[in-house]
Amino acid sequence: MTATMPTTAERRAPAAGTAPPLYEARNISKKYGNLQALDGINFHINAGEVIGLLGDNGAGKSTLIKMMSGVVRPDSGEILIDGKPTRITSRHDSQEAGIETIYQDTALVDSMSITRNIFMGREITNFLGFMRHRKMSDTAVSVLDSAVHISGIDDPDKEVGLLSGGQKQAVAIARAVYFKRRMLLLDEPTSALSVRETERLLDYVANLKHEGVASVLVTHNIYHAFQVCDRFVVMSHGKAVFEIDKAHTTIDEITKHVIMT
Amino acid sequence: MTQQVEAVAVRPPVPHGLIGRLRRRPEGAIVTLFIVVQICCIIGGLLFPDDFRYLSEANIRVLLKSIAPLGIMALGVGILMIAGEFDLSVGTIYTFAGIVVATLAADVPGPGGGEGISPFIAMFIGIAIGVAAGILHGTIAIRFAIPSFIVTLGAMLVWKGATLLYNGASSVRFRPDDSFEAIFGAEFGLVDASFIWFIILAVVFYFILHHHKLGNHFFAVGGNKQSAIAIGINPTKVKLIAFAIVGGCAAFSGVIAMTRVGSVQPGGGLGLELEAIAACVIGGAALMGGRGSIIGVVLGTALIYTIQDILLLLRAPGFYFDMFVGGLIVLAAISNQVLRPRS
Repeated sequence: MTATMPTTAERRAPAAGTAPPLYEARNISKKYGNLQALDGINFHINAGEVIGLLGDNGAGKSTLIKMMSGVVRPDSGEILIDGKPTRITSRHDSQEAGIETIYQDTALVDSMSITRNIFMGREITNFLGFMRHRKMSDTAVSVLDSAVHISGIDDPDKEVGLLSGGQKQAVAIARAVYFKRRMLLLDEPTSALSVRETERLLDYVANLKHEGVASVLVTHNIYHAFQVCDRFVVMSHGKAVFEIDKAHTTIDEITKHVIMT
Repeated sequence: MTQQVEAVAVRPPVPHGLIGRLRRRPEGAIVTLFIVVQICCIIGGLLFPDDFRYLSEANIRVLLKSIAPLGIMALGVGILMIAGEFDLSVGTIYTFAGIVVATLAADVPGPGGGEGISPFIAMFIGIAIGVAAGILHGTIAIRFAIPSFIVTLGAMLVWKGATLLYNGASSVRFRPDDSFEAIFGAEFGLVDASFIWFIILAVVFYFILHHHKLGNHFFAVGGNKQSAIAIGINPTKVKLIAFAIVGGCAAFSGVIAMTRVGSVQPGGGLGLELEAIAACVIGGAALMGGRGSIIGVVLGTALIYTIQDILLLLRAPGFYFDMFVGGLIVLAAISNQVLRPRS
C-alpha cells in the first residue's frame, strides 16, 4: 500500500491503520481481442459508501462492473476483499463476498412470482430440497414491506412480469437486502424507470447506505449520481481518469471531466 | 396513505376469487376447458345412453387405458419445455427402447440362443438408454449452442434408423413373466397398471416441479436464462437433468405401451413426439419455456384422448381426430394468451 503505483485511486486509498476498503481492485487489465477494456485500473470502495461510476459509452464501466460481479475474469491484477486477496471468478464467488448486481434488466424471471424470484437459486428448503412455500412467502412480504417500502405490491405470488419497471427494481433490491449483501452494483438501473420510480430507487440506495451497504452506481445521468453518491470515479479508455469526493466538486466540474476525457 | 393511492394508480388490481385464480394460473384455461368438456360428455352420456356410451364401463376402461403411454412421455416433454428446450426424438426413443427391452427379455431360438434376461433388468437397461440418449442430445445442443429442436430432429431420424439397424423392420413380441405383467400390465377394476404408473409419475413430477428447488430452477432457466445465470443457477446442469428426465420418460412409456399390447412395432412411436408437445401446449406450457404445470400436462393428455373417444363414440372417421386436436392446439394457445392478465 505504499506509493509504488502513483495513480489517483492509489493515492486516495485509506492510510495504513484504518479499516481496509470493503472492496479493492488493483491494477486490473482486461482485453477483448484488440480492445483494451480495462487498462490497469485501480478502484476501491468502503463499507457504506456510494460511488458514482461515470464515463462515456465504451469507457469500460460495464466491464468493471462485470468483473466485480465475477462474470468477467480479469487478465491481470489483484482483488482484495476487506484487505485480503480474494479470487472472484464466478457469480458464486461474488455472492460469497456479499456482492449483488442489480442489472439493467434486474435479472428477474417475468413468468415467475415475486417470492420465487426473490429466492431463485437460494430457495428455503427442507433437508430434502423441497421448498418451504409459506416461509418464503412470509419472508418476501416482510422484506418488501420493511426494506424497500414499495407500494403497489400487494401479493407476493404475483408474477413479476405484471409489475412496473420500478417495482421490478424494488424486488431485485429486496432480494439483495434480504441476502445481506454488503455491496450493490447498479448498472444503469434508472434507464427503464419513470421519474418517480427513479427517485424511489435513489432513495433505496441512500437508505441502504445507512444500513452499511455500499453501492456502485453506473449511470449517464450525473444529476442522479450527484443526488446519492459520496464519491465519483470517471472512467475513460479503461482507466480511472478522475476521482473526487462530492464535497469537493460540483455537477459542472464532473460533467466537464466526463465530456472532456 | 399516499402509498395506497399510488398502488391503485400504478396498476389495476389483479382479479381475485376463483375466476381470477384460474386466470392467473398457467393451467387455468385447460382446467376450465377440461371440466366443460367432461360436463358436456356426461350430460350427453346421460341423455343418450344408447347412442353415446361415454359413461359405459367399457368406454371408461378403454379411455383410461389409452392415456398412459402418451401421458408419461408428455410429463417429460412438458418439464423439458418449461426448462426452455424441445425433444422431437421421444417418439423414436420410445420405439428403440421398447425393441431393445423386448429383444433382451425374449427367449432367443436357435443354437446360439438361450433364455432372455429378466424383463425388470431389461426395462432398467431400456430406461438407462433413454436417459443416456437425453443427456447426449442435451450435451450436444448446449455444447455447440444449437437449438435442441434441430439436435433432436436429427436424433429422431438417427434413432429411427438405429431401431431398424438393431432389429430390422419386423415387430418383436414381448411376453414378460407373470410378476412383470402384474406390476406393469395388470387391471384393477376400471384402471390398469399403466394408468396407475402414469398417476404415480405425475405426482412425483408434480412435487419435483412445483415444490422442489430443482423445479424452481427449471422455471427460472426456461423463463429467463440470463437472469438465472446472473443469480447463480447453472443452466447447463438444470437443462441436462430435464433432458435426462425426458429420455427416461420416453423409454418408460415405450415399455409400458409394449407391455399392454404384447409387441412392439419398429415404426410405432413415430408421431408421438408431436402429440406429446400438443398435450403440453394444450395444458398451458409455453413454447418459449418458463410456463407450464404437471396438472396441465395431465389434463392436456386426457383431453386429447377424450376428444378421440368422443369421435369414436360418434363413429366419426379417423381424420376428424387430427383436425380436432389441431384446432384444439391453436384454441389452447389463444385462450392462454387471452385469459392471462396483461401487464
